[in-house]
Amino acid sequence: MLSKLSTLCLKGIDGRVVSAEVYIASGLPAYSVVGLPDAAVKEAKDRVVAAVRNSGFDFPAKRITVNLAPGEIKKAGTHFDLPIALGVIAASGRLGKKLPALLEDTFFIGELALDGALRPVAGVLPMLLALKGSGRTAVVPAGNSVEAAISGVSCLSASSLKEVAAWLTGDADLKPCSAPGPAQAVPEGGNDFSEVKGQPFAKRALEIAAAGFHNVVLVGPPGAGKSMLARRFGALLPPMTFDESLETTKLYSVSGLVSAGRLVSERPFREPHHTISDAALIGGGSSPRPGEVSLAHNGVLFLDEFPEFSRPAIEALREPLEAWKVTVSRVKESVAYPARFLMVAAMNPCPCGYLGHPTRECACTPLQVHKYRSRISGPILDRIDLQVQLSAVKFSDWEAVPRGESSAVIAGRVLKAIEIQRRRFKGAAKANAFMAGAELRRHCALPEGASAVLETAMNKLGFSARSLDKILKISRTIADLEGAPGIKREHIIEAVQYRMLDKTAAIAPGF
Amino acid sequence: MGANKEEEKLARVRLNFFACYKSDWLLRLIGLHGGAADLLKLSPSEIAAEGGVMPETAQRLAAQTAAADPEKEMLAAEKAGVSVLTALDEGYPELLKNIYDPPLVLYVRGKLAPVPAAAIVGTRKATAYGLRTAARLARELAESGVAVASGLARGIDTAAHKAAVEARGCTWAALGSGLNDIYPGENRKLAERIVETGGALVSEFPMNKGPLPSNFPRRNRIISGLTLATVVVEGGFESGALITARFALDQGREVLAVPGPVDSPVSRGPNYFIKNGAAPVENSGDIVACFPPEYLFGIRTAASEPVKSPSEAALKGVSPDALEAYRVIEASDAGLSADELTAKLAWQVQRAAAALFELETSSLLISRGGRFNAV
Repeated sequence: MLSKLSTLCLKGIDGRVVSAEVYIASGLPAYSVVGLPDAAVKEAKDRVVAAVRNSGFDFPAKRITVNLAPGEIKKAGTHFDLPIALGVIAASGRLGKKLPALLEDTFFIGELALDGALRPVAGVLPMLLALKGSGRTAVVPAGNSVEAAISGVSCLSASSLKEVAAWLTGDADLKPCSAPGPAQAVPEGGNDFSEVKGQPFAKRALEIAAAGFHNVVLVGPPGAGKSMLARRFGALLPPMTFDESLETTKLYSVSGLVSAGRLVSERPFREPHHTISDAALIGGGSSPRPGEVSLAHNGVLFLDEFPEFSRPAIEALREPLEAWKVTVSRVKESVAYPARFLMVAAMNPCPCGYLGHPTRECACTPLQVHKYRSRISGPILDRIDLQVQLSAVKFSDWEAVPRGESSAVIAGRVLKAIEIQRRRFKGAAKANAFMAGAELRRHCALPEGASAVLETAMNKLGFSARSLDKILKISRTIADLEGAPGIKREHIIEAVQYRMLDKTAAIAPGF
Repeated sequence: MGANKEEEKLARVRLNFFACYKSDWLLRLIGLHGGAADLLKLSPSEIAAEGGVMPETAQRLAAQTAAADPEKEMLAAEKAGVSVLTALDEGYPELLKNIYDPPLVLYVRGKLAPVPAAAIVGTRKATAYGLRTAARLARELAESGVAVASGLARGIDTAAHKAAVEARGCTWAALGSGLNDIYPGENRKLAERIVETGGALVSEFPMNKGPLPSNFPRRNRIISGLTLATVVVEGGFESGALITARFALDQGREVLAVPGPVDSPVSRGPNYFIKNGAAPVENSGDIVACFPPEYLFGIRTAASEPVKSPSEAALKGVSPDALEAYRVIEASDAGLSADELTAKLAWQVQRAAAALFELETSSLLISRGGRFNAV
């Protein structure tokens, strides 16, 4: 006896339709699953046997073959339990005869517990999005119902195998998944810029970074507030659009990180530890999963102690920083995960951390400082436009310094600057940070007397021709923040302050 | 003396492969045996028997000198434009010849002009005060025709050499490595300029020897030995600058010191010398004043300007904002970061950035590790 059901699987962050076929033949009892299943799918066998029996059905002692088609896509995940179990029950004729159409038209997703209960699974949102516009229905575990509702596909939620079987025989109804209520405003746990005291240059640099999509490196001694600033950085970015939310939620869903099934509506802030492997950072694994850079998609990736990251991890950032996506290639498949994030890196000025500290003496030799800084290779440093120095805050100052502007005020200016750029780049999702060649020359025309400023910067402060391009881009963003049509001399002068690692005297104490 | 002059010189170059790491007993041995060439003919046991030298040391001496190739060394020196001097040669500096253990061989690139010289030495971790004082003293000395000797190290040494070169005076750098391996690497350009402006790089180490840490205290005796006076600008108690000063005292040369703030760790050394009788230095006149009279001929006594902040003139040209920022930075103990300046003046970052840019590009400020100090 044969039964055929529909289900879904993931390829990267996109859903694919899969049909699960179950054939029960007479012969010696045997049970096999074919169609490139991974370990978790193979384990479905044992769960299915127990779940079927504990739901009041017989598990036939016959020759059972389960096929997941199309056969060339790798199947991963535990959500094939439900379709396989239903297939076995249907093929053994326990669900009546009129079913085949309903079985094939409905998509089943869910992991089974041994007692037949349905458990939530990862990746429901991206899988369901593959059904969008098809008018088909899906059955998902109750634990995924909120996430399923986000997709806009008509979905039913069930909490056990028994319930689904009863629905199929027409003996009971399943609850439709309803759209989640408005996201509860999470009480802001003190994440406002006004709480950061001092550090006016770093704050301003982050404002510029948010406005022009420039990556930033914060250089400062331990305790200067690098992490504190970085955590508040997301609040400067404009609110996520629905599409952005959906994209990011898909990535979170694939990773099984969607909290309470809600849409990710706040810009993500990812803070991987510096011992992270390159695969974990950019994504990978034998069945690929998105890495930290993709989880930071449409948000902020904060890399504290940047030079301490492994060399391969730092170099692996090149692709996402350039192409906004990561392609993970494996022998059997290659998937692309989007990774459009703003990078905020933080580092100490030297290995001991106290170079330039007002009261503590730095114990590093110039060579050590040089080695420490050169762990960040040229190509990576090249993708970081803003380099800011933070200084240690003395307690006496700490009391005296007034509170700064709130995130909302800064975000208002940032939004205006972003709108100016949207007009400049004709609606393309482009920012000042990505200008090159002809565009740079067209949009960053130098005003009278400004080339002298650049020349002085080169001669006196030791800037290279390469850093001049960066200065121009930063100047453009500063001008946009002000709403100025052209770059002015003072914009360039300000921009020079955000290239501290380029100054020749920055490393060597003395001369 | 059984050997001719040429042979003796080669023998000394050979012997120096061992001697440059050792001290005076070799000279005693040479004296005992009439010359390096004769000494090298002896077997280790004969040396040990006569010279009061440990047999193992004599063995090592024999092994290392046998491995050396003085002809090749002379060729290498010639190729690099380096003259090789021994005490037998005309050009070997008189003053250096008279110290307790003069280098057996002196490699010289450039020219050791027969002018009186003073050493300006100090720590690598100098403060802005130390750097500008070293530079000013070096400039004044160079202008009055006194050669400035130092060690080409980072910090004070570099500041002194640079200022002398910029004043087109002559400056000598004694190295702790062979002349083919200039250390530290970032000063290679400076070394070239020293030679171009009529100064010299000197070393007692064979051309290709690297900078061993133990070389540096030894080379300090050359710095003091080449000069009439040694000026300690800044240095803690364990600083190499103090070693140079002690060598100078041993060699019967003058030691002077630049007084510094009593709470600055790098002024401990000079202040200690002053307490113990060294002359405090305010300007080059103080240094020249302690030269023996026979050396004063030909020195242009630069009308020593009153000591003042070097930038008064430059400050006249800057904007009011920049001037205000400069005054605040100048008044601070350890310089200010851009953030601190902004907070102190309660300015917008843009305004502070503009002032800093102006001051930095007019060379009124230097920034180190993000901290701005008045020059």
